[in-house]
Amino acid sequence: MATISLVTGSLGLAIAVLIIVLIRRDKLYVNHGFAWIFTALVFALLGFAPGIFDWLASHLGVAYPPVLGLAAGIGILVLKVLLMDIDRSHTSMKQERLIQKMGMLEADIQALKEKIDS
Amino acid sequence: MTANAAKVGSTSRSVPLAVVMPAYNEAEVIASVLSGIMALPHIHVILIDDASTDETAALARRAGATVVPMSVQIGAWGATQAGIRYALRLGFTRVVTMDADGQHLPQYVSSLIEPIERGVANTVIGACPSRGSWLRRIAWVLMRSTSGVRIEDLTSGFRAYDAKSMEVLSSWRATFLDYQDVGVLSLLLSQNLELADVEVAMLPRENGGSRIFRSWKAVAYYMCHTLLLGFSKRRIRRYRAPRLRSVS
Repeated sequence: MATISLVTGSLGLAIAVLIIVLIRRDKLYVNHGFAWIFTALVFALLGFAPGIFDWLASHLGVAYPPVLGLAAGIGILVLKVLLMDIDRSHTSMKQERLIQKMGMLEADIQALKEKIDS
Repeated sequence: MTANAAKVGSTSRSVPLAVVMPAYNEAEVIASVLSGIMALPHIHVILIDDASTDETAALARRAGATVVPMSVQIGAWGATQAGIRYALRLGFTRVVTMDADGQHLPQYVSSLIEPIERGVANTVIGACPSRGSWLRRIAWVLMRSTSGVRIEDLTSGFRAYDAKSMEVLSSWRATFLDYQDVGVLSLLLSQNLELADVEVAMLPRENGGSRIFRSWKAVAYYMCHTLLLGFSKRRIRRYRAPRLRSVS
């Protein structure tokens, strides 16, 4: 196996191990960890067996195989960023509703205080 | 007993009415604005203090309003939604939203409520097209043509909502909105609710200018945001609201 394949494959495995360590140390939520471990394992597989891209490219009619990797990588990144924006939108919405709820509860407390005082 | 509670307890109005008023740093005018509204019979005022840094909340309480304080500024629509949610919690089935800057005249509240009482509309918008600058009129034309919502005064915050509208506007979908105009109206239409507009008079703001049109950058952001939202929420067929005349 070529040295470069060993290096890239080992890098993929190292990233997979890093993800597990991050989950263990509560730095990364488990659900996100699944996707990242899968990504790391794909890197490892392609690193140890780069011929897979050549095979895929020939079947898809792509003349220059690395372009397929680049296109797939960019597409996945764009999708990931879009999903992050969707997630952030929902988080922002939930936060706003919580702020509103707090305000309503404060108003209730004030009304109770006035009732007690009167 | 607060002034609000005493008025809600009265029996001569068939349905008690909440006035929801979002406010941010309106200490200069809030007392006079509230005194005009509190003079109306059977009104419960809910003022949503959008994290003001002045005495707005304290002055509003002193005037007899129920104050719902936001711990962090969430904007005029977020504050309005908080007020509508709170009004629902208190059991109100009708709500009128008014600005805290003195533009909206209390004597038109009954004009806004009347179409709801008659069952011809779920939401009534108080329209004052003559108040618009040329810039605002261009904005209205663009918003109407992209969204298909044919309400004359799209940006008026002087509105009456019935219980169905209040339920829709209390939902999480409405929390996604940043402004109360096209997005809110499109959401109501998507739930097959009826809109109407009534001609009202409005005064110029007692202090300061528009917060939305405060700078060209703010205008550009608002227009891009609103036009994209209106286009994406556009109904397949155009909606034209029935035009009703003011009763006062």
